[in-house]
Amino acid sequence: MTEKAILFDSSRCTACRGCQVACKCWNDLPSEPTAERPYDSVNWDGKFTHPADLNSCTRLITTFNDFESESSQKRVGWAFGRRACQHCTEAGCVNICPAGALHKDPETGFITYDQSKCIGCQNCSSACPFDVPRYEDQGGKTVINKCSGCVDRVAHGMKPACVTTCQSGALQFGDRDEMIALANERVEFLHDHGYEDACIYGVDEMAGLHVIQVLKHGMDAHGAVANPSIPVTATLSGILKPVTAVGAGATVLGLAAMFGLAAGYKRDTLVYNDATGDTISLETGEVTKQGNGPDERSVKEALTENLPFVGSKKGGDGDE
Amino acid sequence: MQNTDVILNIGSNSVENHPVSSKWLHKAHDKGAKWMVVDPRYTRTAEQADIYCPIRSGTDIAFYGGLYNYIITNLIEPGLAEYTKTGKNPSNYNFEYLINYTNASYILMKDYEFDPATGLFSGWNEDSETYDAHSWHYETEEEIPWDTSATGAYNWSVAKGVPEFDKPVLAVPKKDASLQNKRCVYQKFKEHYSRYDLDTVCKICGMDKADLELVYSTWATSCAPGKAGTILYALGQTQHTYGAQNTRAMSVLQLLSGNIGVPGGGVCALRGEPNVQGATDMGMLVNEQPAYLKWSNTTDRDTLAHWLSSQTYSDGYYTNKPKFMVSQLKEWFGENATVKNDYGYDWWPKVPSHDGSDWTEMSSFEKMKEGTMKGYYAWGMNPCHSAPNSGNVRRSMANLDWAVTVDQVITETASFWDAPDMKAEEIGTTCYFLPCALIYEKPGTILNSGRWIQWRQQAVEPWDEAKPDYEICDLLWTEIRRLYKEQGGANPDPILKMKWDYYLDGKIDPRPVSWALNGYALEGSDWKSGFKSDAKGEKLTSGSINLLPGYADLAADGSTACGMWIYSGFYSNNEAPVSAESQPVYGRDNTDYGGLGLYNKWAYSWPDNRRVIYNRASADMNGQPWNKDKCLVKWDNKAKAWTTGKNTDGYDNPDFVASKSVTDPKTGVVTTTAIEPNNKAFFMLWEQNGRLESYGMVDGPLPEHYEPFETPLSENLINGRLNSPCYLGRPDTEGKKGLGTKYSDESTRRASADEFPYVATTYSVTEHWQTGAQTRACPALVEAMPGDMIEMSPALAQEKGVKTGDKVRVWNRRAEVIVTAVVTPRIRPLTVNGKTQHLVGMTHHYSWSKLFGLTTHGAVNDLTPNVGDPNSQTPEYKAFLVNFEKTSI
Repeated sequence: MTEKAILFDSSRCTACRGCQVACKCWNDLPSEPTAERPYDSVNWDGKFTHPADLNSCTRLITTFNDFESESSQKRVGWAFGRRACQHCTEAGCVNICPAGALHKDPETGFITYDQSKCIGCQNCSSACPFDVPRYEDQGGKTVINKCSGCVDRVAHGMKPACVTTCQSGALQFGDRDEMIALANERVEFLHDHGYEDACIYGVDEMAGLHVIQVLKHGMDAHGAVANPSIPVTATLSGILKPVTAVGAGATVLGLAAMFGLAAGYKRDTLVYNDATGDTISLETGEVTKQGNGPDERSVKEALTENLPFVGSKKGGDGDE
Repeated sequence: MQNTDVILNIGSNSVENHPVSSKWLHKAHDKGAKWMVVDPRYTRTAEQADIYCPIRSGTDIAFYGGLYNYIITNLIEPGLAEYTKTGKNPSNYNFEYLINYTNASYILMKDYEFDPATGLFSGWNEDSETYDAHSWHYETEEEIPWDTSATGAYNWSVAKGVPEFDKPVLAVPKKDASLQNKRCVYQKFKEHYSRYDLDTVCKICGMDKADLELVYSTWATSCAPGKAGTILYALGQTQHTYGAQNTRAMSVLQLLSGNIGVPGGGVCALRGEPNVQGATDMGMLVNEQPAYLKWSNTTDRDTLAHWLSSQTYSDGYYTNKPKFMVSQLKEWFGENATVKNDYGYDWWPKVPSHDGSDWTEMSSFEKMKEGTMKGYYAWGMNPCHSAPNSGNVRRSMANLDWAVTVDQVITETASFWDAPDMKAEEIGTTCYFLPCALIYEKPGTILNSGRWIQWRQQAVEPWDEAKPDYEICDLLWTEIRRLYKEQGGANPDPILKMKWDYYLDGKIDPRPVSWALNGYALEGSDWKSGFKSDAKGEKLTSGSINLLPGYADLAADGSTACGMWIYSGFYSNNEAPVSAESQPVYGRDNTDYGGLGLYNKWAYSWPDNRRVIYNRASADMNGQPWNKDKCLVKWDNKAKAWTTGKNTDGYDNPDFVASKSVTDPKTGVVTTTAIEPNNKAFFMLWEQNGRLESYGMVDGPLPEHYEPFETPLSENLINGRLNSPCYLGRPDTEGKKGLGTKYSDESTRRASADEFPYVATTYSVTEHWQTGAQTRACPALVEAMPGDMIEMSPALAQEKGVKTGDKVRVWNRRAEVIVTAVVTPRIRPLTVNGKTQHLVGMTHHYSWSKLFGLTTHGAVNDLTPNVGDPNSQTPEYKAFLVNFEKTSI
């Protein structure tokens, strides 16, 4: 497989936040209001970007920035951004991780991780130029949580959840060089339409990001980091580790996450018990596979059984 | 939309509220279309567009009037004489369209008049406060009666079984194709809008003149033959006291621009709810029964003969209305409907038109207050939060004996007695709640804004005790009938004689309902034996149905039944009537055959699977497309026949009479001949030409600007009348005996600009769905957009000492609410008539009902005024007055 990338074209983004919500659905991440603790709407801070930043249960947010602009007939602009892991080629987080929990997916170039190996040292946070890694409390153990690029879906021929749900075509997924070509074309279109500051982001940053962005109003307006680099503190601290070998563990974990949580895809049929490593049928209560991670075959069946596009070229995932 | 050259979003924030449409707009934009947004605030749609022009809420007609004037002055007047001489279109304007396909050349009655000093059209009656539309009609050239002889076109209307009625007479209008007659529609139109010059429009709308000229000149490029401009509108146009005139104003603009019926043209109504087009089609209205046939009433439609006489057109396709009507009555009352009893017409309830009283949504709450209306079903509706002046709704509902709410969650209406401003112990209403299934929990059809209807399967079982609405209906109806049979009751005939047999395999089922909607011949249909399906789920093993191929086969003699003529053909496959998957309505082939995005085999587009309505107007008088790369239908001069979707993939089905079949009465042989191209581009109107001027509205033949019910101005800058002379809910303080329901000031509580200086409007955000009954049940959506807001400009915020995030008390004479402030350059102060005018915008998704997000500080619709449009009875949500101040909670 050639290197992959997610293309975010801010000039087609309608800021509907379908990606933000789809990410939560696919990864079964909770939201702030609960049935016991509903949100009192009058307490809102008035900011459209909400939650205000990534957090332990939010891997992706849509950002909003409105501003006056003397340069255009419209005299105002509204820059929409996509804040999530950028999947660096030169990934400080992978290098610094002492536990071998973070690794680069050889198939796509996405930076993924194995929560079971994470020791909660949070070194990766210090090595990230984009302030992405967050940590969730798993019963006393604090482990990393961030965008995984949906490598579990990609391995099964699907697109990342955020891309699949995007209705306006602002998010696309494919070979990295194709995404860069599309982005360059779009930047040219935007220049022709009077958006002089429009630029592409992610081609060379950190030796090449796996999220390529078209920034309609320029880097600043969309909140992009200019000239990103691994923070000096992280490189000097001498704790950089050699790249940890990529093992089966990450795949198993990815599948497990997908398996239990795949909204709409027979999610009630089988569940995976993280503690014992057993795969259990919810309907019968039987253990269908003992220990050593989920039953990959059943997982695939459970995932693909209800998909309309399997074995057919028409319809299905996205709009092609 | 992808075929357009100019996009105009006005009264629609489509990118945010109809997100899927943005993909098609981007396709047009990528191909070079100009995209413009005219809106009180800079929306997510405006961010995608090339040109943005702010407008004061409630002044759209002034904007359109100025655009008409611009087109007349810059395109029509300079080229008209030359066109009259040569008959050849110039490159910048389509005279052939204007003169042949619209009523521009029709001569109006001698006493037609508009008086700018009073702001009134001719026909105004000060006592009744209504218009007599007589003077808005055309002068007649000659009268042609229907030919009902044995070989005549209308012989069917005197056949056995057809009810008697007065046959219409075609009054052929007088015309002047040179458009020079002083009384022709074009000249009256030109005179009317000459007052709408750029400066006046800017003064009214609060616009910058350079912005306005840019919008007008950009739009004007769409008037060239072969070019198209499209208008996207939604509730920002309809929710006004002149909302229907706004809608007409857009249609008039598109006729004037030659943009109706062409690919990439049209007036795109982006409906306010996912299936509201379906609900409208199905007659969920007090004035129209299913398929846009008028309800019976107590005046001109009090008998079947009167209905047929007043509703049947003298020419065009609506000459067939008796066929639709009788077929519908046959479905409604089944074998009880016979020609002797007028097919059961008298069993229908009558709209009390003799006293002009109004029984639509807003007036219902007045009737509850009066004590006339004692029971209430709120079915799929949440007026205690969504209706204007919703506090008034709650107080009115407290007068009810009983209230039933059918919904998916406990809405504000289901718990109106529990509102923070209500005292439950003082309310005697008995309340019931019936949980209903969500769309994915039942099979059925859904219809989109483009009239595409598609069948969808049930995905999951209904939650807990919830049932599909049709099952709830069936349980109620069956029980009501049982009680009537056993105990009797008032008006038993309509209850006991109605046909209600939509069961398959012993259960109520949407498939027999679909047979009834599609229509069937009585011969070969057996509803009595009980329908049973075969093992494959395709054919019937008990009972039978003889589905009709389309509405052309409907008859007025009682031999056919059809609940919904416009859908006829959508479920017509007799090979497998039990299988919805085998029907045209199932359509899942997403091939774009002609490359214009018609997708002819995806879903079913009523009527007759036509994708672009009025498509005859996409071609010239010789039947050749204005733009040969965007061809919908075409006259083939060699073959002497039309090329359409009926014979060639990639073309559209004709929305006009393309051929005629005649049956020889002696031999029974059917001969079909093609109809050569003519000027009948709008065959759903009797004159078959589009109406720049229309006598069909109750509030004027041409759209004229009036100020909103609540306005910052003390005078109308363009005529002598501040508000529209007839709007729904106008106050009865002057003691007029006029027709129509009037509301007391105690109910509407009009706000004045002295006390309430800020123009407010309301809107939705993409994350939430109306009152949040569905979306506030989703934690991720509450998290993404956690509250209602008041948006304001930085200048106004500074004046009032407000910052983003501050809590703000917003009030007028109807209520007060507390919401969060959002200070943004997306809203800017406007200069209206030389003075700075501030606008504020508010969302309306949160209230006290206990979902994942809620507020106990009032619902924003407590502030909106309960007045509305006199044609459609749509409420005013988009322009009203408020004051506000920073507060703490």
